[in-house]
Amino acid sequence: MDVVLAAASTPDFPAVLVAVVLTPLVGAVVLAVLPRRSSMLQPVAALFMLAAAALVAWVVVDYTAGAGGFAYLIDQSWVSRIGFSWKLGVDGISLFMLALTALLFPLATLAASPSRDRKSYFVWLLILEFGCLGVFLALDLLLFFLFFEVVLVPMYFLIGQWGHGNARRSAVKFFLFTMFGSALMLVGVLATAFLHSAAAGVPLTFDLVTIAESQVISASAARWAFLAFALGFAVKVPLAGLHTWLPDAHTDAPTAGSVILAGVLLKLGTYGFVRFGLYLFPEASRFFAPLMLTFGVVGIVYGAAVAAMQRDLKRLIAYSSVAHLGFIVLGIFALNVEGLSGGLLQMVNHGITTGALFLLVGWLYERRHTREISELGGLARPAPIMAAVFLLVTLASVGLPGLNGFVGEFLVLLGAFSSHRWWAVAATVGVILAAVYLLWAFGRVFWGRATGENAKLPDLSWRERLVVAPLLALILFLGIYPRPVLDRMEPSVEHLVQHLEEHAPSGADSARPSVGQASP
Amino acid sequence: MSPSVDWAALLPQIFLGGGSLVMLTLGTLVRKRAPWWLPNVLGIGLTLAAFGSVVWQWVRVQDPSRGAFSTIAGTVQIDGFAVFLSGVVVIAALLALVFAPFSIRRAGLPPEEFSVLLLLSAAGGVTLASANDLIVLFLGLEVLSIAAYVLAALDLRRAGSQEAGLKYFVLGAFASAFFLYGAALIYGAAGSTKLDSVAAALAAGAGSNARGMLLAGFALLLVGLFFKVAAVPFHAWTPDVYEGAPSPAVAYMAAGVKAAGFAALLRLFAGTFSASSADWRPAVAVVAVITVLAGSALGVISGDVRRLLAYSSIGHAGFILVGLESAGANGTSASLLYLGVYAFMALGSFAVVMVMGRDASGSQPLAAYDGLARRSPWLALGFTLLLLAQAGLPFTTGFWAKFEVIGAAVQSRTYWLAAVSMLGAVVAAFVYLRLVVRMYLVRPGADGDALASQKSGVGLADDSRSGDEDSDSRPPVAVPRSVGFVVAVCAAVTLFFGVWPAPLLNLAGDATLAVLGG
Amino acid sequence: MWLNQFLVLSAVLFSIGVYGVLARRNGVLVLMSIELILNAVNINLVAFGSYVQTVVGEVFALFVITVAAAEVGVGLAILLLLYRNRRSVDIHDVDMMKG
Repeated sequence: MDVVLAAASTPDFPAVLVAVVLTPLVGAVVLAVLPRRSSMLQPVAALFMLAAAALVAWVVVDYTAGAGGFAYLIDQSWVSRIGFSWKLGVDGISLFMLALTALLFPLATLAASPSRDRKSYFVWLLILEFGCLGVFLALDLLLFFLFFEVVLVPMYFLIGQWGHGNARRSAVKFFLFTMFGSALMLVGVLATAFLHSAAAGVPLTFDLVTIAESQVISASAARWAFLAFALGFAVKVPLAGLHTWLPDAHTDAPTAGSVILAGVLLKLGTYGFVRFGLYLFPEASRFFAPLMLTFGVVGIVYGAAVAAMQRDLKRLIAYSSVAHLGFIVLGIFALNVEGLSGGLLQMVNHGITTGALFLLVGWLYERRHTREISELGGLARPAPIMAAVFLLVTLASVGLPGLNGFVGEFLVLLGAFSSHRWWAVAATVGVILAAVYLLWAFGRVFWGRATGENAKLPDLSWRERLVVAPLLALILFLGIYPRPVLDRMEPSVEHLVQHLEEHAPSGADSARPSVGQASP
Repeated sequence: MSPSVDWAALLPQIFLGGGSLVMLTLGTLVRKRAPWWLPNVLGIGLTLAAFGSVVWQWVRVQDPSRGAFSTIAGTVQIDGFAVFLSGVVVIAALLALVFAPFSIRRAGLPPEEFSVLLLLSAAGGVTLASANDLIVLFLGLEVLSIAAYVLAALDLRRAGSQEAGLKYFVLGAFASAFFLYGAALIYGAAGSTKLDSVAAALAAGAGSNARGMLLAGFALLLVGLFFKVAAVPFHAWTPDVYEGAPSPAVAYMAAGVKAAGFAALLRLFAGTFSASSADWRPAVAVVAVITVLAGSALGVISGDVRRLLAYSSIGHAGFILVGLESAGANGTSASLLYLGVYAFMALGSFAVVMVMGRDASGSQPLAAYDGLARRSPWLALGFTLLLLAQAGLPFTTGFWAKFEVIGAAVQSRTYWLAAVSMLGAVVAAFVYLRLVVRMYLVRPGADGDALASQKSGVGLADDSRSGDEDSDSRPPVAVPRSVGFVVAVCAAVTLFFGVWPAPLLNLAGDATLAVLGG
Repeated sequence: MWLNQFLVLSAVLFSIGVYGVLARRNGVLVLMSIELILNAVNINLVAFGSYVQTVVGEVFALFVITVAAAEVGVGLAILLLLYRNRRSVDIHDVDMMKG
């Protein structure tokens, strides 16, 4: 493995993760004291997000590939009585989630500005970023839960106050669904911590690494705890069946809300599965893997099928998210290095492409005030740049070789195929469907003859081009040269798969021959 | 031979009870009508003094070289538990007195009577919290309750308030009678009214030859106290009383009377009867679950803010019962934390409800809150914070309260109870969201329009009028400084200790029952 | 076996009292029923007191009598207030609030 960077075993800025998490929060406080109608609101908000992004960029560059454990660890006791600590750390799994979050927030902030109550809008966005960054960095079960739950509030207000259509209903639905999921997760968190402290004979702790490495919880209890966690994550992902909040929330949210929702919030669930489901409960993960794979495949097929029937462009993309997330779940629960790295990469890719798609649809809506596919048509003529960008992003989302989506999808299928052949086959059908419906929608919207208002559609402004440019660059870069990402990811993924093999050997509970060994 | 009395142990009662009696006497002696603010200021002074003595007691009790102590022949026990709950009761009385002037001025509550009764009731609550004898427990309970009955009926101009007082009185007296009958049976079974003697007798197997009597005693005590803390199915009085009684009194009832009722429940069951916990835990578990679920579900269908908060207080009582159910030091400290934290949420919420209503009492449709965030952004923000805390959102004290209670249930391996309670919490979250939706997301049109949307029932009415900049003609809500102060204090406490819960958890953890040790 | 007779008497009184509270419409009668329960308690307390040979039971009973008097005083005052407003002490009429 070629170490590109100067090996910095002890980082020269250990508190960098604290700075990353707190920068948006400080931004929110600063923004709160600015006057209500100040013209500086958007620039200041973006400035703080960019500052956080700069810090994250430094972490990404500085992160030393090769170490399987966590870097930049901060462990500060918060409530010593219950063993709750402010423990942050980053590894190859969370690194790119972090980067994705730090990238999408400033873009979403710069992309659009609401017409009213701008101050509280940007404050909520900053608080949302604080929560999302915290979720990806927390290495304490309770801290994770706090962040996981706190993102609900800003998102609820963003959808409800600045959304379109039936925004109130969608906001409440979003809130209740997610809260329902996390309600049992809290029981799971507590049960895990108490069972661990009882079985290991140590004082109560919520430390992820300690609990996960000790593996003292009995198998049956661990399965129940896994289910409690899984329910919370499954709602967030969302797995098919628990997804009904997603199309509503996506459709009615303001543009920035949709971008963050699709790009970051959905990843909280899949990230949770990897970080907490697999790591904490390896045996239970393997036990429930077939179930989760089924959910994943059902999600792919269902999402694709329903997406094809949508007439609203935003809803179509929302359902395509259900399919893509099903794909990610498939990769994760293949439980081998290929599947997991593919799933993780796909999480990043989905964030980039779907984020870009929602941005584009948002801009389209600003211009045409409709998202009905049937009312749009021939937009490529008046707005060629928008069409080109849209096409590129769509192709990336479909998984065209040379663009980012391909690498992830390929790895996921590889991983799934080697461990669960038939699921992979079914998923491939979904991929083909995905290509069909997205390209079909693109054709309907951008090709053909433009009539009426469609003919007068203004193209992307310079500001919009600047916002979407980094995403396009990443689509190309990750498609052609994903090595830096995979290099940083792989040690952590291998570490996780080893952990799985150690505590739940792949041949143990299934008659299938084990293929997916950790073979670097 | 008269028993020795440690007057320092009784300082809060002296300030509260003695002070109120002095005020009452002076009020009848002095012919000239005192200015309206005088009784209020005196009451605030007395509660502050009581609070000071509670703090002093806390320091004394927590000093490892001195520890818990009892006085008056062991009938009054000053331990961390007693002092903590005394503190909660006193704070409830204090804050209720601070924002009461609004009701006194606007609705014409008699100022003197209000202060005197509130102080008297608080004295009862403090006595109840520190009682170590069934007789003292009974006296504390009655002083607490009788004063509260009158408080509920104090809004003399409104028939609704008298109705609330009557309902509260009839059911409260009925419950007290049950409690007494249970206390008598326990006395008969254990041969003593002193709680530590009862506990020793139970541990020694005293009840074995009179088991039926003992169980009947438990059941009757539970029924009596369930009435006081408004647990389902003994909750029927709560919404009516919360709707009819004047707001400051309701705030005190939700925060202080509830804390005192739980003081009796916790001391008797988690403390004295812990040896027979196998007998009473199932009953408490069932009641806890029904209370959480019913409180949340009834809140969903309620169309009135006061009733909604009443149902929410029922739901919270259910959570506190979950802490009691786990029957140990952890469960007790979790319940204490919940009571302390909920006191602030309830006081702040009812302060908001008070300024939102025209009268001190009476119904208040949800539509009154439409678009409050535009008219009075700070009031709406404070109320939202208090509501989200009641929903148990992270970084608020409400989360830590739920966390501790559920943690205690999980630790005692009653997973089903923890899981069902959390589901109840989600339903309850919907109830609070209904109000938040009203404040932030609903733009009121004309008044009649708002009323129409209120009639359409559940908060998810599909009437989203999406005008960009609405023109709300209603003026901002006038918030007097006293009320603003209370809301700000409650919101600040809720947020500050939500982010930094260590001192709060330590406080509740140190406040264990002397019986349980630790 | 002389204790049991008192306990039975007390239980009967208690039951009559509970029935009275639940079934009676007249507020004054409801108050009297509550008094009946309290007196059942007193019989219990005195019986137990002489059974276990301590005066605690009797002392408790004295306290109960005192408090009961205070309670009835407050109850009657509230009823009186209500009567002045409505000319009725029927507590089933009192249902302005629905919920």
